Amino acid sequence: MGILFTKMFASLFGNKEARILVLGLDNAGKTTILYRLQMGEVVSTIPTIGFNVETVQYNNIKFQVWDLGGQTSIRPYWRCYFPNTQAIIYVVDSSDTDRLVIAKDEFHAILEEEELKGAVVLIFANKQDLPGALDDAAITEALELHKIKNRQWAIFKTSAIKGEGLFEGLDWLSNTLKSGGG
Amino acid sequence: MFSLFYGLWKYMFSKTEFHVLILGIDKAGKTTLLEKLKSLYSNLEGLPPDRIVPTVGLNIGRIEASNTKLVFWDLGGQPGLRSIWEKYYEEAHAVVYVIDATCPLRFEDSKSALEKVLRHEDLQGAPLLILANKQDLADSVSAEELARYLDLKKLDERVYMFEAVSAYDGMGIKESVEWLVEVMERSKRTEMLRARAGATGPASN
Repeated sequence: MGILFTKMFASLFGNKEARILVLGLDNAGKTTILYRLQMGEVVSTIPTIGFNVETVQYNNIKFQVWDLGGQTSIRPYWRCYFPNTQAIIYVVDSSDTDRLVIAKDEFHAILEEEELKGAVVLIFANKQDLPGALDDAAITEALELHKIKNRQWAIFKTSAIKGEGLFEGLDWLSNTLKSGGG
Repeated sequence: MFSLFYGLWKYMFSKTEFHVLILGIDKAGKTTLLEKLKSLYSNLEGLPPDRIVPTVGLNIGRIEASNTKLVFWDLGGQPGLRSIWEKYYEEAHAVVYVIDATCPLRFEDSKSALEKVLRHEDLQGAPLLILANKQDLADSVSAEELARYLDLKKLDERVYMFEAVSAYDGMGIKESVEWLVEVMERSKRTEMLRARAGATGPASN
């Protein structure tokens, strides 16, 4: 299954350098998702500027992951990773209701970034396997997704641990990018 | 200095942008319609119908027709997702309501969802286009029959039209778009939205 999708993505972008950012608060399940997709080896780098970025390179597509929230001093460096970003995958721990407000604020702050204006947005309402996890409609409400009016978005219920929902989401992503994006 | 002139240029020559909401219950063919619009009116290909999956969010189509810019917002129609429709009402110039004309069993569901849409005050005065979709299929009912089935009350003040279309093969789509542009250009709601945009500046995000 993973192989199938990597092939799909490869044909999608041709030889152009492309970037997909996988973002969310810490402990949302971002790295687990990358492993689940089996696109290649996840390489963790702790560069001198002091924040941890994980990268999976598949052909010409870079999937890059880091935690939002926390230290504000390193945020300007995030911008190094913004150019050529076609899509943002935003991962939320649907059972962590205490931090949904922070997840929402961080999400909308990222969408404000000029260089990310053209990126389409895929939201994974993750950890659906946990008791008390909110469903897609509730997460839509909590993240105030309706405020997004100038780009395409979609939300999928996922369980990265069980591998559920991830490929449906990526299927949407590849279709959307193919049909002209945001 | 440059930005000043650029601003003036934009002010004088930019076309009005109309926002059109595509609503309807699940499986009505909203996204198929959106993709057809893209392929008919822009240089984008549009997804073929067999690649379209149920929408769980927002799809956007930007086209130009009759010298006007149209932005279509296609929202998911599954019951749990209909609660976000109203969040998009305030900025919409018109509503396209899509109904699967081959499925009388669900007309009642369509009707009650539509009545709820029409009751909402944020959509006051918005022109309404009701599409009897899937005319490419043999068992579809006509636009007139659908109108009779729905038997909508309290439509008298609203500008509306029923149109038989096929989002699959494109039948009726051009007529629909022409009608939309025409009614939006002279609707009071457009005036109201324009005045509001002028007062607060264009919305961001």
